[in-house]
Amino acid sequence: MASYFDEHDCEPLGPGEQPNHFLHLARLLLDSGVAALEGQMFGEKKAPPASKEAVEQLPTYSLSGTDLGKPCPVCLLEFAPDDMLKAMPCKHRFHASCILPWLQQTNSCPVCRHELPTDDTDYEEFKRQKGRAKDREARIEQLHDSMFG
Amino acid sequence: MANIAVARIKREFKEVVKSEEAAKCAIKVELVDNNFTELRGEIAGPPDTPYESGTFILEIKIPETYPFNPPKVRFQTKIWHPNISSVTGAICLDILRDQWAAAMTLRTVLLSLQALLAAAEPDDPQDAVVARQFKENYEIYVKTAKHWSYKYAGAPNRTPELDSKLKQLADMGVDEHRARVALSSCDWDLARATETIFS
Repeated sequence: MASYFDEHDCEPLGPGEQPNHFLHLARLLLDSGVAALEGQMFGEKKAPPASKEAVEQLPTYSLSGTDLGKPCPVCLLEFAPDDMLKAMPCKHRFHASCILPWLQQTNSCPVCRHELPTDDTDYEEFKRQKGRAKDREARIEQLHDSMFG
Repeated sequence: MANIAVARIKREFKEVVKSEEAAKCAIKVELVDNNFTELRGEIAGPPDTPYESGTFILEIKIPETYPFNPPKVRFQTKIWHPNISSVTGAICLDILRDQWAAAMTLRTVLLSLQALLAAAEPDDPQDAVVARQFKENYEIYVKTAKHWSYKYAGAPNRTPELDSKLKQLADMGVDEHRARVALSSCDWDLARATETIFS
């Protein structure tokens, strides 16, 4: 059986480390009925910029035959032979000069919203929390189906 | 305006003009000034909705930072819809705020607005009065939205029983639009509408 910490995707406290009470309170609020406010608390906020490291790791291409004549989704100009291109992990390609300013503002692919990691710890925590909530729902659903389905 | 913004708008303009939807007269864009900073959009009210056959005009302002920031869009045609202010025409739609993505275009924005007319989100309202009516008194909402579409968006369906109530207020010397707002907000209860106007 997986350990408590694995199952909850967290680490045991180190020696002398105090639990993060604010985080626990926030979780408690989200898990109780106040979750409906979630959208107002977090949803309105624009996603933060992509982490510098992730952006630096994006591969650079010069134009290959398959891209020639396709439009860059950001500026809508067709890729030309001397253009420097960047590819996101989702394989969507852009002019480097088009995608870099976008990623300095928001962490997701302009075409499909595939997310790059960010340097914003609160946002990353919120994302993990959302993932956990989804897992929990799926587990409850599964349990329900196994009993009544 | 920045070069990328102008170049993009020019291309998008062509995209809309050539689009299938433009051929069906469902969407349209026009220039308002020559520097591509202000445009006028038009969408047709979707079929099987209270907005059917209406023509809704949109004011579109392109920011300097486009396409990294969304265009600013507002309904110029008055409309009764939970996610659009019946007073200012301001729109509550995620892609025009935090969910904007640089690959979206005028065409996708206009189509999203058309979709919004067909599928309101009363739990994320822009106009609280309309949203409440939508949730608590759906039939009256449909009638009211039809009436506004007839009056302001040129839709063909008349709503005679509402017109007679409006006339009663007009006979008391109340301005027509003011009477319409009061009656619409009071679920067409003439006594309550009269009270809000004269109190």
